[in-house]
Amino acid sequence: MRIGVFVCHCGSNIAGTVDCAKVAEIAKNFPDVVYADDPMYTCAEPGQAAIEAAIHEHKLDGVVVASCSPRMHEATFRRTVERAGLNRYMFEMANIREHVSWIGKEQQANTNKSAELVEIAVAKLRNNRPLAAKTFDVTKKTLIVGGGVAGIQAALDCAEGGIPVILVERESTIGGKMAKLDKTFPTVDCSACILGPKMVDVAQHPGITLYACAEIEEVSGYVGNFSVKIRKRATYIDWEKCTGCGACSEKCPSKKTPDVFNEFTGTTTAINIPFPQAIPKKAVINAQYCRQFTKGKCGVCAKVCPAGAIDYAMQDSFVTEEVGCIIAATGYELMDWTIYQEYGGGRYPDVITSLQYERLLSASGPTGGHIVRPSDGREPQTIVFIQCVGSRDNSIGRPYCSGFCCMYTAKQAILTKDHLPQSRSYVFYMDIRTPGKMYDEFSRRAVEEYGVEYIRGRVSAVYPDGLGRYVVMGADTLLGEPVEIRADMVVLAVGIEAAKNAPALAEKLRISYDKYGFFMESHVKLKPVETNTAGVFLAGVCQGAKDIPASVAQGSAAAAKALALFARDKLENDPQTAQVDARRCVGCGKCIRCCPFGAITETEIRNEKKAQVIETVCQGCGLCTSTCPQGAVQLSHATDNQILAEVNALCR
Amino acid sequence: MPVMKDKELRIVGFLCNWCSYGGADTAGVARAEQPTDLRIIRVPCSGRVDPLFIVKALLSGADGVLVSGCHPRDCHYSSGNFYARRRLEVLKHFLPALGIDNARFEYTWVSASEGQRWQQVVTAFTRRIHTLGAAPGFEDAPLLMKTADMAPAPLRPLGTGKNAPLESLKQAIKEKLPDLACVIGWKQGYDDAHTTPLFAKKPEDVDELVWGPLNAANLAVYLPLFKGKKVGIVVKGCDSRSVVELLQENLVAREDVTIFALPCEGTLDMGRVNEKLGRYNVVGGIAHGATNITITTDGQEHDFSMAEYAQNKCRGCTEPEAVLSDVRMGDSPLVQGEAPVPQELALLDAMNLDERRSFWRTQMERCLRCYACRNACPMCVCRDYCISDSRDPHWMTQEAGVTQKLFFQTIHALHLAGRCTGCGECQRACPVGIPILGLRQHIARTVGELFDNYRAGIDPAAVPPLLGYEVEERNIREREWK
Repeated sequence: MRIGVFVCHCGSNIAGTVDCAKVAEIAKNFPDVVYADDPMYTCAEPGQAAIEAAIHEHKLDGVVVASCSPRMHEATFRRTVERAGLNRYMFEMANIREHVSWIGKEQQANTNKSAELVEIAVAKLRNNRPLAAKTFDVTKKTLIVGGGVAGIQAALDCAEGGIPVILVERESTIGGKMAKLDKTFPTVDCSACILGPKMVDVAQHPGITLYACAEIEEVSGYVGNFSVKIRKRATYIDWEKCTGCGACSEKCPSKKTPDVFNEFTGTTTAINIPFPQAIPKKAVINAQYCRQFTKGKCGVCAKVCPAGAIDYAMQDSFVTEEVGCIIAATGYELMDWTIYQEYGGGRYPDVITSLQYERLLSASGPTGGHIVRPSDGREPQTIVFIQCVGSRDNSIGRPYCSGFCCMYTAKQAILTKDHLPQSRSYVFYMDIRTPGKMYDEFSRRAVEEYGVEYIRGRVSAVYPDGLGRYVVMGADTLLGEPVEIRADMVVLAVGIEAAKNAPALAEKLRISYDKYGFFMESHVKLKPVETNTAGVFLAGVCQGAKDIPASVAQGSAAAAKALALFARDKLENDPQTAQVDARRCVGCGKCIRCCPFGAITETEIRNEKKAQVIETVCQGCGLCTSTCPQGAVQLSHATDNQILAEVNALCR
Repeated sequence: MPVMKDKELRIVGFLCNWCSYGGADTAGVARAEQPTDLRIIRVPCSGRVDPLFIVKALLSGADGVLVSGCHPRDCHYSSGNFYARRRLEVLKHFLPALGIDNARFEYTWVSASEGQRWQQVVTAFTRRIHTLGAAPGFEDAPLLMKTADMAPAPLRPLGTGKNAPLESLKQAIKEKLPDLACVIGWKQGYDDAHTTPLFAKKPEDVDELVWGPLNAANLAVYLPLFKGKKVGIVVKGCDSRSVVELLQENLVAREDVTIFALPCEGTLDMGRVNEKLGRYNVVGGIAHGATNITITTDGQEHDFSMAEYAQNKCRGCTEPEAVLSDVRMGDSPLVQGEAPVPQELALLDAMNLDERRSFWRTQMERCLRCYACRNACPMCVCRDYCISDSRDPHWMTQEAGVTQKLFFQTIHALHLAGRCTGCGECQRACPVGIPILGLRQHIARTVGELFDNYRAGIDPAAVPPLLGYEVEERNIREREWK
């Protein structure tokens, strides 16, 4: 081999504590090194040109650059050597800035260490082989999991971009949490009025196939070619026939069914359509409460249904969809706030969650938009809002901020004043976090125009005073005084948590999730939509707390990623994948068992079972290589021989 | 390049590209000053770090090795570090068996944002290695010869299998033989006092089958050769565990193997038997008593009582009966008491690190590198593609040095981690009698301690522990960095 070494000064970043010329001089003694130089800025245009020139002049077939971290410029220099006609994998980097010059001041030690790092890089390079990417076909179709506002936005953007969409929603209607809201901050416009048309668009768009009451059962395949098995839960109603007329729920005798959509603030019928604008507008039977299922006789709905859509014998069914990418937009749930015994632990009917309060405010809610106490139906006069119930609380293992509670609490306090002009509202808060556009102005209005009283401090106890009201004991930490308020109603800004089955879905999608169950993006700042599994994108709160504008933006961003992926007819894989030497393979399947991506399958060669890597699925972790005792599976560009060469260069 | 004399020691780091390498970069960006000893090798994932890289480095002159990956649950590849954690923890326990201080090896988790933590880790680890000083080598360790004691009283009465229902078993084998390519068993060898494997294809072959204390060989070693064919195998209790392990690892299919079992009454330590027989011309006969056999060579009678001449492993045996079988005959022997610490392991346990280094140096000087240990091992299924004699991958040189030979033993031992059933064939095959079984027993004990008393080759459905993981490991704890 003919190797060229370039030891970058990086101005004084490296040269300040490393004798770069000496490192280059030492490098000339390493095996196969025929050329070494120490340019000032290797990554700059003249530096890259010098590498290209040296490759031509000295007929180099491998290049080592000793400079900054490969996480910084490996891609840059790979392109450089490629321009000069070398394969991009005939390049290695020695990190002598972040790992040497910036962490030690002693020149002699630094120079020695730099030369050694170059030696390791040369040793590895001598074992490198040119690698070529392979191309493969793409199924241009997107699957979106979750039909909240983020999923809806992603679906519409993809479909508008000409990509067919499969939208899978767990509930019987799309709309998610936003559909339950009365008004939205900071404009106080009606949630149903801005979300409703988007939901209708989803229903009407020819490019969108909607599966409601459905869940992801199984995911296989890889970017460009996923195969997703979807479980369609039994609704006991043939949706092909159901017209959404509502005759069934009018006549249904099981009227004590808990109303999930209304956050259990009221009751509904066992067969029902959750709300008038539901998409799809189809009825569903709640088998836990339906008399046909619990008592074995009733059948009223079947008698009254004009379309004959009722089917008590319906079973779960499955469909499999082939798609090219998947967008997870599974949203969030409220945490179980009843662990807070100081707020009554759920025993007091007038201590409710903010989402329940939202349903009381809503004109389509159980009270028709009148704020009344759940206990006795009276209008409350004094309302206390408590913020950060289950957010930023390390004592219950939830150190994160739920993000949007400050804003909706201000909104709810304003709306309360609109509904009940005589009422008084108090807000107990830790900090007011309102960094969005027009957000702080909005929360100021709550204080300045609507006279909402903000008290900085935590509430230590809420208990009934015995006269039908509640005593709220707290502290005003700004005044340093205890506070006691008699309230008619207490609204808790309950913190969010990841959807209960988010980790299970993450495992099916082979993406990571953090310890709270939120999905992990590929890079906190630079790749907020991508995951570490190619072709799986994130949108909305499933990735972390965010409000409606941010969810919509991320929905669009995820759609943009999908559209960018599908802009090409063929995809290229990263050739740093595992390769099986079929002669060495004994077909024991240990690699298949360990592979985190299901990228290794069993194949038969001359009647013998052998492992086979699906190169497009392989992510290049190398777990198989360290698992295979025969060394039959080798991860390209990190083979045993390459790593051994590095070890041997260091230890002799 | 050598290390800087009197200033630096040789410390090798394996860092995953996504978290720890990024963390080291972050430390650099923050100008977090660190000792200069560490040399970092970038790997995609901590799961890529074969524990053998670490042993290779430590045997070749590294004074310390540090592995760092993403925090558990935060692996770029979702589960690579979970596998790494198990394998590296097993290695951490194993190194002292070789005589290497396991403080010289550490693994930890550092994320890309934890520059400060990385600085702490490097500083603390480098300080630790400097406190330990340069790693002592094997080549210059003083010679030390030690041998294992005889095992204590057996957990069951040992015998010669004289009353075992061998004839009924033969009948049963003959019944099944038409459906099988062959049945593997034992037959008389070059004389009455030795057995050799029998591959019975015809009913008359089956008549050659013998049963008794001379059947020391573990025939499971031949099973993978018949992969894809239907075969029968006659097993002792210990052999059956090898068969089960092969089933666990998909190396043999359950429907392809028919297991014939008789309860084992113990086998002879043929090494000592041959020693006592000495040179002879003719075996004049062999007589089985209830608890002893008498071999007549050149007209002279030699008496071998099972109590004295049984293999060590037979005394500690708790599974004289097959753990899995299709045809089982004979009465179940009564096993009483707990299995003692095996003699080879007890020998290792009794030595300190310096002594173990001396011990292994002495033993490895005798090693011929004949690979008989490997070839006798029923779990060594790589056969012609063992990494110890291949160029790609090129793990070992052909040099005859002590460290190369010890590295081979480490490859064998680590490749058997969580798989070795302790059948002892490796040691029995060793022509120079090196007690190499101790290394395998050491790992097997570690695996049991770490993974809920797991024993290899008991349950055909069990996943070998190093091929699995728990998100929260019960017995593996993150170590402090201060």
